[in-house]
Amino acid sequence: MNGRRLTDGQFAWLLMVPGVALFLAIIAYPLVSALVTGFFEQSLVRPGRSFVGLANFADLLGGDFWPVLSNTLVFTLGATIAPFVIGYALALALDAGLPGWLRGVFLFPWVIPGVVVSFLWLWIFNANYGVLNGLLGTQVSWLGDPVTAMVAVIVTKTWASFPWMMVMLLAGLQTMPKELHEAAAVDGAGAVRRFRSVTVPHMRHIAGIAFLLEFIWNFQHFDTIYVLTGGGPAGATKTFAVAVYDTAFKGFDLGHATALGGLWMLLLLVLMVFYLRKENT
Amino acid sequence: MNTLNRRAVLRLAGLSALGAAVAACAPDAAGGGAPKGDAAAKAFGFTSWSLNEEAQKGAVQAVLDAYAARAKVTINPASFPYNEYLNQVTLKLRGGQLTGAVQLDISWLAALAAMGRLKDLGAQAAGGGYTDVALGSGQFGGKQLGLPWTTGSIGLVANTELLKKAGVDGMPATVEEFEAALRKVAKLGGGITPYAAATKAAQLKDILPWMRTFGSPLLEGDTITVGDDASVAAVEWYKKLYDDKLIAPDVDRFDARALFAQGKAAFYDDAIITRGVVASQSPDKSLTEKMAPLARPVLKAGDTPQALLWGHVIVVVDGEGSDAAADFAAYATSDTATVASFFEKVKLPPTTTAGLADPKVSGDTFTADWTEKITKTATANPFWRYAGYAQIEAAIAEQVQAVLVGRSPAKEALAKAAETARPLQK
Repeated sequence: MNGRRLTDGQFAWLLMVPGVALFLAIIAYPLVSALVTGFFEQSLVRPGRSFVGLANFADLLGGDFWPVLSNTLVFTLGATIAPFVIGYALALALDAGLPGWLRGVFLFPWVIPGVVVSFLWLWIFNANYGVLNGLLGTQVSWLGDPVTAMVAVIVTKTWASFPWMMVMLLAGLQTMPKELHEAAAVDGAGAVRRFRSVTVPHMRHIAGIAFLLEFIWNFQHFDTIYVLTGGGPAGATKTFAVAVYDTAFKGFDLGHATALGGLWMLLLLVLMVFYLRKENT
Repeated sequence: MNTLNRRAVLRLAGLSALGAAVAACAPDAAGGGAPKGDAAAKAFGFTSWSLNEEAQKGAVQAVLDAYAARAKVTINPASFPYNEYLNQVTLKLRGGQLTGAVQLDISWLAALAAMGRLKDLGAQAAGGGYTDVALGSGQFGGKQLGLPWTTGSIGLVANTELLKKAGVDGMPATVEEFEAALRKVAKLGGGITPYAAATKAAQLKDILPWMRTFGSPLLEGDTITVGDDASVAAVEWYKKLYDDKLIAPDVDRFDARALFAQGKAAFYDDAIITRGVVASQSPDKSLTEKMAPLARPVLKAGDTPQALLWGHVIVVVDGEGSDAAADFAAYATSDTATVASFFEKVKLPPTTTAGLADPKVSGDTFTADWTEKITKTATANPFWRYAGYAQIEAAIAEQVQAVLVGRSPAKEALAKAAETARPLQK
């Protein structure tokens, strides 16, 4: 070989080239292109576009943005807190000696694809021939009422995601030295006191990370809501993900859709900053 | 330790770039790639929602198989559910990934035509023997962009057995009589929905013929009249039916068909396809004999019953395999033996004079009855002329749903719907 040798630094940069190229092609370019589109009036079905400045953002902030933000926050909080509580309780029970095979049973909802889970619950919640009404002997329109529809999507998402929360928290619990509990017990601490003074402080970091990750994922969640309610009734479950999809691919309005996506991304960036700061601590 | 020199690294980079370029140029699963004309193409795609519906897919597949054997070509089928179809087809067409023949609802033609990628099928239409009404459903901007596959209407269907049990004599002719019939059916109990009307946003466009029944033209010139007194009265009446449980929440076309097929609904709205669908879903094999089409009740005696023109066309995407696909479209829609056999299986009326005259079609009393009571007065949705028609309907549907669930009064909701719809009139 008679070519010039590369330094380690140059070689490292070359190794990064494919990754960077892919990043530029499939993330950076579409992202920048989408953000730019937010400043144009552009249709999915008509050729051409015209610059409208901040008009798309002004339209959204003057109307659709706020109910969508409110729905997204309600869904995100509900679909994060409920699986967190259930997952924590099950993790504690498993750590305390619940048979190990139950861990596999509890994981079952997590391995079912999200769309399949959503269709299962769609059938359960159907007002006219659903399982839930059959069991209760009622004829409630679970998905047709704004309040119960939101509860239904939160329940469905909770069922699908509590196992992940359980696994994360169980892993955290299993790193906790048993001696801490034993010492506290010797000092006369009961179960509740041991949970509050030993378990909670030990789990604070991992629980915080798990909660924040789940919150971020739910903030972007799409499939459960789209399958179950399509954002309805009357927009009552329309979150950012559904609104952007509807605006772009049903309304064919790329300008407003990307403007809404840009605002959504800004909010997600705030959450990302929280996450990164949490990780670094 | 081995080290790489610059030449080796450049060689590696070159190979990687070549690999990436090859991957980027690889055709997609649907046989996409750069469109190019090919009169002698031996393969083309056919995209259809009917291939996704149990009641029809066998009959459609039989048409594909027969043509493939006859013309010695390969047809690559693709399908999406009806409610997602326009969206998927639009995206694929925009991305250059849709080729060949494509089944379309006649209401979607303007949206697809706006993209400027559909082939003019004037030559095929000229020799097809289609009726004028049918041909009109495939025309846009002075061009024949679709060949009509079936032309009919969407109207009301009744379960005569349930009506008889409820003590309803004869078919209701006015809105007042219709509501009275629903109240009688409601008294039957047993989980029966008197009228399985659409209440989910996806099919709430079914309220448009009711708005017309109450006297709203929907569109006058280019002025949207949704929000006028007549349309408000129609929505308030619909809300009354909803509150009184004469129509059920959470129902779209598919739920309505399921309810009707189970004998759990006395009325519902559907196209003439209803008989085939209900027959395939119902445990009661005699239910189709108890089904009867009825003219939509009018506000006052003497008014014209409202019904929505309905149908499917086959369009062809310009480019790869388009000539072969156009020949297939002509065969599927105008070959008399094919359309008569298709009718026999799925009860979709053909669109050619010869097809309609075939004894299998002309001798069918349900179809004759449907044509007389519903199709005869059917008219096109005035919003179909706009590429954004689906969004206009969605805007109206969302606001009607807001009224049904008690979020908005009808007047305010419809005013908002009209305001949202106005910029979409292009």
